[in-house]
Amino acid sequence: MSERILRFMASRWTRLVLVSLILLGLQTTLLNDMRPFAVMLPLMLLFAVAAGTLYGSEVGAISGLIIGVMYDCVLSTPLGLASLVFGATAFVGGMLPYLIREPTWWTRAITIGVVGALGELAFPIAQSMVGFSGQLQPHVIVVVGLVAVVGMFGAPLLLLVCRWTLKESLIG
Amino acid sequence: MALLALTAIILVTLDLQGSSATRSLRSTFGVIFRPIESVTRVVTRPATNAWFGITHYNDVTDENELLREKIAQQEGAAVAAAASVRLSQELLALNGLPTLAGINSVSAQVIGDSPSNFVQSVEIDQGSESGIKVGMPVLNAAGLVGKITQVFSNRAVVMLITDPQYALSVKIINTPKPTTTTLPIQDPATAVTVVSVPETIDPQVTVPSVPVTSNIAGFTPGSLVAPRTPIISSSLTIPPGSNVSVRETGVLEGRGAGRVPTVRFVDAAQRFGVVQAGSPIVTAGGSLSLAPPDIVVGTVSRVKERLGTAGPLLEIDIVADLSNLSFVRILLYQPITERTAP
Repeated sequence: MSERILRFMASRWTRLVLVSLILLGLQTTLLNDMRPFAVMLPLMLLFAVAAGTLYGSEVGAISGLIIGVMYDCVLSTPLGLASLVFGATAFVGGMLPYLIREPTWWTRAITIGVVGALGELAFPIAQSMVGFSGQLQPHVIVVVGLVAVVGMFGAPLLLLVCRWTLKESLIG
Repeated sequence: MALLALTAIILVTLDLQGSSATRSLRSTFGVIFRPIESVTRVVTRPATNAWFGITHYNDVTDENELLREKIAQQEGAAVAAAASVRLSQELLALNGLPTLAGINSVSAQVIGDSPSNFVQSVEIDQGSESGIKVGMPVLNAAGLVGKITQVFSNRAVVMLITDPQYALSVKIINTPKPTTTTLPIQDPATAVTVVSVPETIDPQVTVPSVPVTSNIAGFTPGSLVAPRTPIISSSLTIPPGSNVSVRETGVLEGRGAGRVPTVRFVDAAQRFGVVQAGSPIVTAGGSLSLAPPDIVVGTVSRVKERLGTAGPLLEIDIVADLSNLSFVRILLYQPITERTAP
């Protein structure tokens, strides 16, 4: 029993939930207040994409779903919408090895920026598909552009945190 | 991936159907996450303050100066306004009409914005334990802010009036400009008669300064100028049908972040006249409305004329500053349309 609990505690998914809680805290406080050009930087989404680029599509999709469900719980959009978008975005981010044989840190950074921006664009589209239309406005261009730039520059730090969070431990 | 997508779609479907499972999941997560968020807020406060110090310092100093001026201007007006409101409420109460004063309210503090670029909502620190229910209108000291969309035990989510999902019937209180009719009068004797009408007639003698020319060969106009009859015109001010402001209803709709809400379906009635910029907008009330009548929403900032019978499209300047909400008041008024079956 104790071994099972230990295994659960040391699992990469438990670590992911705990780290995501801290990131969600940063998302809802610091990043929610600091909005350059009236854009909130989607830390959670970029983290999910980082998981995809580091550990592949499957791990990325599961990470995206877990992170997305947590993010959904603090949003007023339907529960599951962010998880769908985050999961799909992280899955796309995880397809990097199919395009580049040996990804370097900077190809991963570019991928995080570009795919993160696409994911941010996908969110208002998904909202429109479930009846919450009206969010696809010209301001989205600024949002997508800034998310791409910040994603690329913030990628080294995200990759570092993500690598530690999702690494396979001996017990887990 | 397909399994995960299916899971997400099932969650979306359940939530859109109003499932209690998703509601309780959100509520439980809120209980777990709230302490973490509070700690993070405390830890990151210096960074947030530094950010605001860097980006908003000049705005804050300018705003302070402006506010001092405004306070000085409004101190006197507020006293008169308070007296007028009191009189109005007494009059409405005497006639058995509903007033805002008769509706209980709960004060709440805004504890967070929506952490998304595509949702216009805020979270408040009062919930179902304070009697708050879905659909209740939310105001601040200036005017209408939004409505409650989600309620938990001790917090609630407020959809702001800028959200594209928000729609509300409103009244536009228009004050048509005084109509001026110019009556050309040829006979000066008649003009005297018109002048005798007090206050409403303002006779003016207008002599056109058109250069006099002639097409007759060998004749140069100069000392001999053909006599001209002065054109006497009178500006006659016709007051409107009554001094009471004319009202018309429309539907206010939010248009998302950074865009002002609009009012549509305004009937271009003849008595209502042309909508003037600056006309106040208040809630219309009524049994199917989301809010009780006469809550101030904003003023008309721009009128966009449209062809056909569509009527004008009005852009609204909201009186409540939605970017800087700290305390709000929730009217304990649940619209019929938002009530759930027992």
